[in-house]
Amino acid sequence: MREEWGRLVAVLLSRFRRLDLVEDALGDAVEAAARTWPADGVPDVPAAWLQTAASRRIIDRLRTEAVAQKAAPLLVVESSRREGARVMADPGALVEDDLLRLVLMCTHPALAPEAASALTLRLVLGVPTADIARLFLVPEATMAARITRAKKRITGAGIPFGVPDASVLPDRLDTVAQTAYLAFTAGYSPGTGPDLLRAELSARAIGLVRVVLGLRPAEPVLVALLALMLLQHSRRDARVADGRLVLLPDQDRARWHADEIDEARRLLASEALRGPVTVQSAAYALQARIAAEHAIATSPDQTDWERMIVLYDALLAVAPTPSARLARSVAVAEARGPAAGLAALEGIEIPSTHRVAAVRAELLARSGDTDAARAAFDQAIAACLNDVERAHLESRRAEL
Amino acid sequence: MKYLVLLIGDGAEKLWPDQTDAEKQATMAKFGEFASACEARESVELLAGEALSDPRDATVMRSPDGGVQLTDGPYAEVIEGMGGFYLIEAPDLDVLVDLLTVLPRYDIQIHPTIDVMT
Repeated sequence: MREEWGRLVAVLLSRFRRLDLVEDALGDAVEAAARTWPADGVPDVPAAWLQTAASRRIIDRLRTEAVAQKAAPLLVVESSRREGARVMADPGALVEDDLLRLVLMCTHPALAPEAASALTLRLVLGVPTADIARLFLVPEATMAARITRAKKRITGAGIPFGVPDASVLPDRLDTVAQTAYLAFTAGYSPGTGPDLLRAELSARAIGLVRVVLGLRPAEPVLVALLALMLLQHSRRDARVADGRLVLLPDQDRARWHADEIDEARRLLASEALRGPVTVQSAAYALQARIAAEHAIATSPDQTDWERMIVLYDALLAVAPTPSARLARSVAVAEARGPAAGLAALEGIEIPSTHRVAAVRAELLARSGDTDAARAAFDQAIAACLNDVERAHLESRRAEL
Repeated sequence: MKYLVLLIGDGAEKLWPDQTDAEKQATMAKFGEFASACEARESVELLAGEALSDPRDATVMRSPDGGVQLTDGPYAEVIEGMGGFYLIEAPDLDVLVDLLTVLPRYDIQIHPTIDVMT
């Protein structure tokens, strides 16, 4: 159902042009489905059922509004009937256009970038508000308010549901890329709940990039981003075994998707990334080249960690983020030992995540400082909200 | 959708008194071009537009405690630099922004209006 969310929002928005009604109606329809499907059976085309149910709710709301305003016949409904209802059973080009319109509306520059990303995750990919809040490191209530405000702003400011002129489109693509990558991350490592991976969400984010890349085939930011996503995504089957997290060195490399790795490496070698590129494109490309280093190593000890450090230094030069510094310290530890890794870890702080403490715990354990490692594991376990990752941390602590 | 477009500050433009006669003419011509562009664009209508007098002529009206208080000073930075306005009917923000690029490169505030009767 999650994967149809964006298409349903897009189709309903295309028909009714009422963002304020569409999502609520769709939410109600999903709730009705949860109530009736277990008893009545799942319909042949679930998305079509949901579309019909949501459409009825919107029409009801429009009637109520019309009565309240003592308006005459409801023109919007009449005109949509003449158009004929589109159903999800036929996801043709028309629906793809609607989806692109929805993406561009959600990533409009008149919206603050964070609001745009949150809105796209919610409306296009159906990510729960709680998980979006976790990605943006804010409380859920704050995120819910931010999404509501963004929706009101779209209606209030007159942000169009349409594809802009070709001259304006390139400016929109950076935001689209950021948005897609945030969505991808939500699937790759969800903040809360029992699932370690929601690979289908990551696949949808990749699909989002492919849709836009189809329109702008040589756009560096999209080429670099797609390569990065494919490399990370290629490891999904090896990352979890029996519901447990498997770290990269322990992964069965035969289970990595070779076709995706090949496609990513072709993208990284393509003409689009040869010329001067924007900071954002460079950051995605460098992260992809780091991931590609893992992908070409036939076993963990074949990994060229010194080259990794060079790539991380280049990445930090264009995009000095705490999470890149954290990843660099892991590479330093692999190349030069846990003490060097701990030194590189010094001063890195990322609020609301267990990852810094988890890396510190692991490096302390390796350097034989069991007491300090135990304390760091406790800190990481307390901060970790993902069930599978927490179980992994707990078992590592028990092994000390 | 109706938008109030406020032309605020000189933005990327040279200050008016510093412009040569030729530059002033070119600036003024852009307002004419803008009116023509609005006229030529489907579903766009320029409903009103005026140049404003010196900001020092502006009056601020406040009504605290039921009384009316008038002051001679504009109170917001925005108002201090305001040189003119348009009231424009346009289908959406993208169409409007596209048209506004015809104008001199002022800082501009775009504010949708609402119909208080509905």
